[in-house]
Formats: sequence, C-alpha cells, structure tokens
Amino acid sequence: MTGAMVTGSVPGAEGGHYRFRHVARMEWIKLRSVRSTWMLLAFIVLAMVGVGIGVGVGYRSHTPVASAAQIVNNALGGAVLAQLLIGALGVLAVTGEYSSGMVRATFAAIPHRGLVLAAKVVIFGLVAFAVGELAAFAGLVAGQAAISGSPVPRVPLGDPAVLRPVLFTGAYLGLIGLLGVGLGTLIRHTGGAIGALFGAMFVPMFLGAMFGQAGIAVLKFVPLFILINSVAVVTPVPATLSAWAGIGVLCLYAAVALGLGWWLLVRRDA
Amino acid sequence: MIEARGLVKRYGATLAVDRLSFDVRSGTVTGFLGPNGSGKSTTMRLILGLDVPDAGAVRIGGRRYRDLAWPLREVGAVLEAGAFHPGRSARAHLMGLAASNGISRSRVEEVLGVVGLGDVAGRRAGRFSLGMAQRLGIAAALLGDPGVLLLDEPVNGLDPEGIRWIRDLLKSLAGQGRVVFVSSHLISEMALTADRLVVIGRGRLLADTSVAELAARSGSLEDAFLELTSGVTDYRGATDRCPPGPQRVDDDHDSKARTA
Repeated sequence: MTGAMVTGSVPGAEGGHYRFRHVARMEWIKLRSVRSTWMLLAFIVLAMVGVGIGVGVGYRSHTPVASAAQIVNNALGGAVLAQLLIGALGVLAVTGEYSSGMVRATFAAIPHRGLVLAAKVVIFGLVAFAVGELAAFAGLVAGQAAISGSPVPRVPLGDPAVLRPVLFTGAYLGLIGLLGVGLGTLIRHTGGAIGALFGAMFVPMFLGAMFGQAGIAVLKFVPLFILINSVAVVTPVPATLSAWAGIGVLCLYAAVALGLGWWLLVRRDA
Repeated sequence: MIEARGLVKRYGATLAVDRLSFDVRSGTVTGFLGPNGSGKSTTMRLILGLDVPDAGAVRIGGRRYRDLAWPLREVGAVLEAGAFHPGRSARAHLMGLAASNGISRSRVEEVLGVVGLGDVAGRRAGRFSLGMAQRLGIAAALLGDPGVLLLDEPVNGLDPEGIRWIRDLLKSLAGQGRVVFVSSHLISEMALTADRLVVIGRGRLLADTSVAELAARSGSLEDAFLELTSGVTDYRGATDRCPPGPQRVDDDHDSKARTA
C-alpha cells in the first residue's frame, strides 16, 4: 500500500452519481468476458445454418420442385433448437451471478437493482436480437447456397413475404432470450429457470396435441407453436395467430416475466 | 464511520440479528467477533444493503448504503471468497466492477499489482486457489480506494503467509485513516489484528470495547471471549462425558455393514 491511495484520488473519478451508462458498461463487460456466451451464440448460428443446409440439400432432388414458401418455412426450422440455446443464455446471464455469488458484488457496486436489471435487459437484448437476426438470415442464406445449381428456383430474399418470416424469426429468438432473463431473475436457479422455460415450450405442445383441433385454441399461444405456425412461416397456418400477433404475445410473455422478476428483485434479499 | 442502530433481521423463525447497535470508527481495525452462526455475515449484508433489516438502520458516513453516489469508491467489501464468475478472468471481473463506478482501467492494473495477482489476471478465476480468490476479493474491495472496508472472515482457509499479508494490509489501511471492519471467529487472529472489538452472540451485542480492555477482564482474550459467549454458543463439544452406550452399537452395525 502506498500513501498515494487516498480516498477520492482514483483516476477516472468524477462528480455526480453512477448512471445507466456505467451499469450498461459493466453488463457488457460481464456478458462478453464469459466463454459460454460466445459458445452459445456460435451454436445458435450453427443450429440455424445446419438446418438451413440440411433443408437445402434435401430439396435439391425433391419432386415436385419445392416452392419458395416451403423452402423458407423449413430452412428456418433451426430456430426450434436455437430458441432453447438463446433462452438458456438469457437464464445464465442472471443465474450465473447467483450460483457464483457474483450477484452480491454486483449489487454492492450498484445498489439500485432495477437499474442493474434494466442494463442487463438492454445489453443482453441488443446482443440477442443481433445474433437472432444474424442466425435467421444465415440459416436461409446457407440453405440457398446448398440448393444452388439445382433446378429449384432461388428464394427472392428481397421479397417482403420472405423477408418477414426471416426478420420475425430473429426477433422471436431475441424475445426468447429476454424471456430467459426474466425467468432467471424470477427463479434465480439455473436448473429451475431452464426447466421452466423448456417446460413452458414443450409440455403444452404435448398436452394440446391430445385435444386435436380443439387444442389449437390454447396451443396458438404457446411460444414454440407460435414459432412454427405463425412466425417462421411465409403464410401463418389457418386458425393460428398472425405473425404480428404472435410476436406481440411473445413480447407480452417477456415483459411479464421481466416485470415479475423486477418486482421480486427489488424486494428480496440478495 | 459506520453506525448500526437497532438492527433486527429475521429469517423465518430464526432471529439472526437482534436489536444490534454499534459504531465502527475510522483509523483503527475493528474486529467483529462471535461464534459461528452468531449473525456476523448477516450484519455485513445488512450494512451493504444486500439484505433489508426488519427494523433499525445502518448509516455509513451518515448515509444509507443505497444512497451512496459511487458505492465502490466509498465502501469496499469482501463478503466471501469466490464472489466472482468462475469462467471470467480476474481482470475482466475487476474491469466490470470498475466500469460500474467510473473507475479507470489503470486502477484495475494497480490493484492487481497490490494484491499480487498481476501475473495471473488473465486466467479464469475459477481455477484460483482459495488464497488467490481471497486476494481477488480484496482487489475488488480496494478498487475504488474506499474510506470504509468491510471484510467477512478474510483469513478463512489462508496459509500463514496469506494471513500475515492480510493482517499487515488491514493495519496499514487503518493507519491511513480508513474504517476497517473485519469479522472473524478466530480470537487469536483478532488479538493480533484488531484494536477494537464488537462481540456478538445469537445476533445480540455482547461487548463493544477495545482488545486490551476485554483481555484485562479475564486471564486472556480467549478466556474473556469464551466467558462472554458461554450462554450463546449453539454447539459445544462434550469434554467431560464418554460417548453414550448406544453409539457403540451403531458403530458395530456400521462396520459390519461395511465389511458385508
């Protein structure tokens, strides 16, 4: 220790108070400095690309020749796997702090817990949406590359009817990531939060399937069902939600999970 | 200065902290002493606003923790070894905390040097030994060059060299006029490090005194401490009784089960 360490002499010190930008910088450093972030993000893109290529190869010699809508719908199928990965990443962004004890260092640095959650939502949300869109486009483009040279016509990527499902699939992935952040904040345990997320995806699908056509009235509000029937398709399946309504419902889920998570976060002991 | 006034904290049916009031002054090392489970860690969390008291309040330099403008520049805390993500490097851990309180990158390198982690700062902190983890915790506490330092059982699991290092560090920090509040259940360590003592048992204040005064009450500081806490220790080893009979039967049964 040296005499130079006198209170208030820290380089970079300034007047005022910590602000959102300080907290956001911390959250960005925390997110990018963990290897699992990069691995999961890479797997999200790989999942979309892998399914895209598989679908492209499959349609090369398919008879009758596939329509653009068929190719788009199937090439985006990797989102079923990618959503689980991005949801888990969202959960881990919160629960990783609880399991390691880091959360107490975070809240000692920034006692304003709502600000911490807001910064996490913005930083993680930006990354999740960016990677979601990248993965969705990569999936379709990879499928197109795999299909090129065959008699199957190329999908017009600039066509709004094609662009919409691709963009919405990326947004869907971002929203599932935020739903994961919300569930992680609510439940605080990695296993419990990931279990809840995956359970909410799949359990209603199995239950709803037992009721056939009648089950769709409820099933159409289940995230996975929304993905494969409303969002990641050129034309939503009849009797299901429209693409916009589907994304709207997903926004609602993420907002409710984050809202409840925030409500508990500022009240519970850390 | 830390001022705790009438702190009460309940976890379900357990009363962890019971009408606890004390002051911690600057310029001295104040030991926070008590048997295991006496409420030391809970009190530390209450000071930092991590847990909310059911009654009472803590003020640091006259303000509540949550009202501090730049918390890390006013209070540095070591709560537990390993309050960091195991997959993150020591440097990234400190960089994140520094960014949150507007502390420069050069200060991160400086504290890494102070605690002697400069050479391993790029390694994943999860691979650190307990001693290195404690040093990382101390680096985080020193990051904002705070006037108040809180350390919860900082010497737990450290080797003699590490214990000596922390002891000297705490004394020099207090010598610079800072508030240094360090909890421990090791009386011998406190005898060497602290000038003043806050002693608690079952969440209640038992003594708020100087080390010399307390030691003078009985033959030694240890005797005085044990006398003070004799009514509030939850578990005590039996030194005057043989193990009761049935236990031997159980032992036999166990050994049979093992050989079977």
